[in-house]
Amino acid sequence: MQAAHSLGSMSGEDIVQTAGLTKRFGRTTALDGVSLTIGPGEVFGYLGPNGAGKTTTIRLLMGLLRPTSGTAYVLGLDAWRQSREVHRVVGYVPGEPALYDRLTGRQHIAYCAHLRHRDDSELAARTAARLELDLDRPARTLSRGNRQKLAVVLAVMSRPRLLVLDEPTSGIDPLVQQVFHAILREHTAAGGSALFSSHVLGEVERVADRIGVVRAGKLVAVERLQELAARSLHQVRARFAEEVSVAEFAGVPGVRDVRVDGRSLACSAPQAALDALLKRVSARQVEDFECSEAPLEETFLGYYGMDTAGTGRPGTDTAGTGRPGGVEAEAGHAR
Amino acid sequence: MLANVLLKTLRDQGRTLLAWSVSLALIVATYAAIWPSVQSQPSMSDFIDQMPEAFRSLFATSSADMSTPTGYIQVELLSFMGPIAVLIYSISAGAGAIGGEEDRHTMDLLLSNPVSRGRVVLDKFAAMVLGTFLLAAVMGVSLVLEGSMVDMVLPTDKVAAAMLHLALLGVVFGSLALALSAGTGHTGLSRGVPAVLAVLAYIVNALAPLVDVFDRIQKVSPFFQYIAHDPLRQGTAWDSVLVSAGTAAVLLALAVVGFRRRDVAG
Ligand SMILES: Nc1ncnc2c1ncn2[C@@H]1O[C@H](COP(=O)(O)OP(=O)(O)OP(=O)(O)O)[C@@H](O)[C@H]1O
Ligand SMILES: [Mg+2]
Repeated sequence: MQAAHSLGSMSGEDIVQTAGLTKRFGRTTALDGVSLTIGPGEVFGYLGPNGAGKTTTIRLLMGLLRPTSGTAYVLGLDAWRQSREVHRVVGYVPGEPALYDRLTGRQHIAYCAHLRHRDDSELAARTAARLELDLDRPARTLSRGNRQKLAVVLAVMSRPRLLVLDEPTSGIDPLVQQVFHAILREHTAAGGSALFSSHVLGEVERVADRIGVVRAGKLVAVERLQELAARSLHQVRARFAEEVSVAEFAGVPGVRDVRVDGRSLACSAPQAALDALLKRVSARQVEDFECSEAPLEETFLGYYGMDTAGTGRPGTDTAGTGRPGGVEAEAGHAR
Repeated sequence: MLANVLLKTLRDQGRTLLAWSVSLALIVATYAAIWPSVQSQPSMSDFIDQMPEAFRSLFATSSADMSTPTGYIQVELLSFMGPIAVLIYSISAGAGAIGGEEDRHTMDLLLSNPVSRGRVVLDKFAAMVLGTFLLAAVMGVSLVLEGSMVDMVLPTDKVAAAMLHLALLGVVFGSLALALSAGTGHTGLSRGVPAVLAVLAYIVNALAPLVDVFDRIQKVSPFFQYIAHDPLRQGTAWDSVLVSAGTAAVLLALAVVGFRRRDVAG
C-alpha cells in the first residue's frame, strides 16, 4: 500500500488521494480504510447517512484530525504533516459553519485574507453579492443560511484548487443553491476540483461527476454519475385496446416489475431496454402511453439499499452481490 | 487589528482588558484613599504583629511595616489582591486560547487558512503575555500616580520591579493554562488545574517558614520567584526572572508540541 500511494502522489495527477484512511475515536471506528481519488476539474459527491463518516473524512483531509492509519494526500502533500501547505490551495466549508460572533462578514474576509497573505476582498465581495449576503452585519446576527453563505464566500475567495465542502448547501434556499451550483461550475471550469458532502443524491446530482457512498465508515460505492443515469429505470405504463399478458413483456431483457391488469401494463425498464420494449408495445393497439424517468435518487437507493431517510438497510436485490466487485473496478479505473 | 492571530486575539480581549484595567486602577485608588488613615494609625502594624504567625505568613508577606507606603502596599496589594487579579486574567486567557476557539467551533475556520498550529499557539501566548504585562503596568502606573496624590510615595523603579515579577507570575500560570488548553482542548480543566496549583504554590511559599516540607520545596513555587526577595524593597531579582521566563518557555514549547500532535475538536 505504501508503494501504491507514493506512486500515485508522484503522478501529480490526483488532487485528492486517500489510501486506507482510517480514523478511530476510542473504540468507535469513524472511518474504516477509505481509499478514494479526485481528479482535476472533478466534483466528487460524497454521500452517506448521519454518522457515516463524511465529516471525519473531510476533517482528515483538512489536517484537523490525525489519521489512525492510512494516508491522505492533497496535491501530493500529506494532509496531516503538511497541512499548512495544503491549506494554501484548499477552500473549506465546515459542516458546522462557525464564525466569529463579533466580526462582520467583511471583517471575516479581511482576517482570512491577511492570514492567506493575499487580498481577495474583491472576489469575496462579488461572490457575496451573487449570494445576496450582507457583509456589514456581525456574524452573530446572521441567520443559519446566511452564515452558510459567508462560509462559502470565505472558502472560494482565494480561488483554491480544491474545495472541500461539508454539506455546503444545508440551510440555503433553492434559488441561492442554484447560484452556488453556478459558482461551483465556474470553479471546475477553471480546473478546480471539489469534494461535496451531502445526505442526499438530489443535492449533488446536478454538479457531481462521480459519487461515493460512505456508510458506517466504509466507502461502499463509487459511481460515475453518467453511468448511474444510464442504469436509471424508466416507469413505463401503457393501456391497450385489448387484453394483454405478462409473458409478452417480461421477456424483454432488462425489463422489471412487469404488472398486467387486463388491458393495462406497468413496468420499469432501463434506458437500454426502452427500444425493444417500445417495439413490443407498439405491436399492439395502444390507447394511452406514459414513460417517465425515475429520479436518480430512487435508482441509486435501489442499487445501494439506502432508504430515503438516509439510514442504511441491507441490499435486497441481486445487485447486492455484484456490488463490491463493481466498486473495486470503479475505484481502480479512477486511479 | 485583523492582520494576524495575535492582533485578532488582543482585539477579542479588548473589552476584558479595558474592564480589568479600570478595575485595577480603582482598586489601587481605594488603597490610596485609605492610606492617610492607615498611616495615622500605627496600631495597624501592631495588629498585624499580634496575628498568629501562620495567619501573618498567609495574608501578609515577610516583614510588613504598615506605617510605610512600601509595607502597606506590600501587605494590602502585592500579597493578595494583585496576584489574584493578574492570575484570573492570565489563566483565563491561557485556558481560552486554544480550547476557547474549539468550544466556539471557530478553530476549523482559523486553521483552514495557511497558518501553522505552532504559529497559532505562539500568537495566543504572545497575546496572553502582552495582556498580563499591560495589567501589571496599569497597576504600577496607578500605584505611582495615585500614590503621589495622597503622599503615599513609592520608588518608581521598585514598583516597576515588583510589577515585572507580578507579570511573570501571571505569565507562568497563564502558560500552564495555555499548555493544558493546547494539549487537551478542555477549557475547564485548563482553567481549574492552574488555579488550584496557584493556590497551592501560594500556600507553600507563605507557610514555608512554618512547615518543614514546604520549606524544602518553597523555591519551586512561582510565588517564591515573585515575592520572596521583596521586590518592592530589593528591586528585580534577575535569577527569579530567569527561572520564571524559563518555566514559561518550557510550558510554551509543551503547548506547541501538544497542539501539533492532537485532533482539533470540531
Ligand atoms: N470527536 C469524536 N469523538 C468520538 N466519536 C466521534 C467524534 N467525531 C465523530 N465521531 C463518530 O464518528 C462517526 C462518524 O461521524 P461523522 O461526523 O464523520 O459523520 P457524518 O457522516 O459527517 O454525519 P452527519 O451526516 O450527521 O454530519 C459517528 O459515529 C460519530 O459519532
Ligand atoms: Mg457531518
